Amino acid sequence: MEAFIQDWLPIIGQSVIETFQMVIISLFFAILIGVPLGILIVLTRPGQAMANKVVYQLLNLFINIVRSIPFIILLFFILPFTKFLVGTTIGVQGVIVPLVIYTAPYIARLLETSLLEVDSGVIEAYKAMGIKTRQIIWNVMLREARPSIILGLTIATVSLIGATAMAGLVGAGGLGDLAYRFGHLRYEVDVMYATVFILIVLVQGIQSLGNRLAARLKKD
Amino acid sequence: MIKLEGITKTFPSKNGNVTAVNNVNLHVKKGEIHGVIGYSGAGKSTLIRLVNLLEKPTSGSVSIKGTELTSLTPEKLRQTRQKMGMIFQHFNLMKTATVYDNIATPLKLLGYDKHEVKKRVEKYLKIVDLFEKQKSYPSELSGGQKQRVAIARALSQEPEILLSDEATSALDPETTNSILDLLLKINEELGITILLITHEMNVIQKICDYVYVLENGEIIEESSSIELFTNPRKQTTKKFLDTISQRKLSASLISQLKLNGTVTRLTFIGENTGQPLLAQVSQKFGVEPNILTANIMELKNGIVGNLVIHLVGEAEQINASLQFLNNQGVTTVEVEGE
Ligand SMILES: Nc1ncnc2c1ncn2[C@@H]1O[C@H](COP(=O)(O)OP(=O)(O)OP(=O)(O)O)[C@@H](O)[C@H]1O
Ligand SMILES: [Mg+2]
Repeated sequence: MEAFIQDWLPIIGQSVIETFQMVIISLFFAILIGVPLGILIVLTRPGQAMANKVVYQLLNLFINIVRSIPFIILLFFILPFTKFLVGTTIGVQGVIVPLVIYTAPYIARLLETSLLEVDSGVIEAYKAMGIKTRQIIWNVMLREARPSIILGLTIATVSLIGATAMAGLVGAGGLGDLAYRFGHLRYEVDVMYATVFILIVLVQGIQSLGNRLAARLKKD
Repeated sequence: MIKLEGITKTFPSKNGNVTAVNNVNLHVKKGEIHGVIGYSGAGKSTLIRLVNLLEKPTSGSVSIKGTELTSLTPEKLRQTRQKMGMIFQHFNLMKTATVYDNIATPLKLLGYDKHEVKKRVEKYLKIVDLFEKQKSYPSELSGGQKQRVAIARALSQEPEILLSDEATSALDPETTNSILDLLLKINEELGITILLITHEMNVIQKICDYVYVLENGEIIEESSSIELFTNPRKQTTKKFLDTISQRKLSASLISQLKLNGTVTRLTFIGENTGQPLLAQVSQKFGVEPNILTANIMELKNGIVGNLVIHLVGEAEQINASLQFLNNQGVTTVEVEGE
């Protein structure tokens, strides 16, 4: 056991760091893109403040298309775009772009669902008080949707962790890659078990953190 | 204060257009409480939402304090709305905010400074008697308390007009009464003009000066509430009145009683319960009045008594008695049997 830890800790540690890097950076950009996208799709819905059929349907189409492409295909499909954007298609840098493109529409969709759950009566009450739409979005809709948004982000993060497993294909490393390389290709099953164990702990941790945070914000 | 003229609202729908509100005229003077009563689907919610332009009228004009709303810019409309509070059947509070924040948030968004926000929140929480609950969340409050928070939220903007969309419909009778008392207090002490809609006759009875009966989007009857309670003209109005008094006797009983004499409904205004008059009638005309049902309703602006009597005697004497009662200011209406 001790020998195993001695041998593998640096390698596994390195992979954990890579996974965290990929998840945190991609999540950051995915939120940056996904949240406004989600808000936009809610606002352009028929009957909403900025109702616009064309924009709404284009957004819907775009989100559906991206969401229907498996990550592994997306990864290769957008190689030229990745290259154009970050100048490389390999390493952590190279995988961030596809991860963001994979996750942002998912976040937009989850956010849309959360925002639509907000009691329309409350929004109407604020409108009746003469409050600006922009302020209603920030201070009423997003606020009331917080518990549900946190749960959505938790789901998105877990799915993002899953996607990083494929990052090894472009040499970005991470836990998934480690399990694949050593566990599968070299039959070092212990490494695979250890990696899987770490992934389980990670996902569990994130999920219960999300649940707890959502429960704390939810007041009913 | 509030003036609707020729207001019509048509919704497009799959099977043709639905006219929810049809050519409605309505005028609420400063300091008065007006009520619109109607059954479900009559168009009440649509009507009240037209007043602050949450719903844009298909045609007609909405004017508040002499300003025509339909032609205002969005910015000006928002400013006008700030002077009109609104409360709702389901309270419409933010679930994730405390009582304090539910009132403070709109004030902050409207640009009041911290100090002013705190001052107002505290002032209006005291007025609605919920000062102690400011740290609670809506889920920890009863329906009546939630409505009080909503009322405080509306008042905190110091509006001149309060619109109420079935504010008591989700509440039990006792809580309804306490909310109605609060609305009366707001009206009397703060001088706020109120337009409310309801399907409950007791709401009209308790706090309204003037009533509109809405049916299929049209106002079919309107008058001061005293007039409406003493002299309802339309069938729908009578049906609403039946909901708050046991006005109804079975048709077969009435027919049976009519075999000797008449069955008549007497309506009085004022303290006069009619008892002395009936004694006089009995003495003067030798008829024998039996009281079948009796009730007294306290309206906002007076008391209305209702008696259904069985008058036994000669036809001529009965007629003379009714004539006499009419002359004394009592409305008499024969009650139909089978
Ligand atoms: N946005 C809308 N689109 C289409 N039809 C509508 C819309 N809002 C209301 N209606 C229709 O207008 C009519 C009146 O509705 P409204 O909600 O004003 O009735 P109400 O008197 O408030 O009823 P309730 O007592 O049930 O609340 C109904 O036939 C309803 O279906
Ligand atoms: Mg309604």
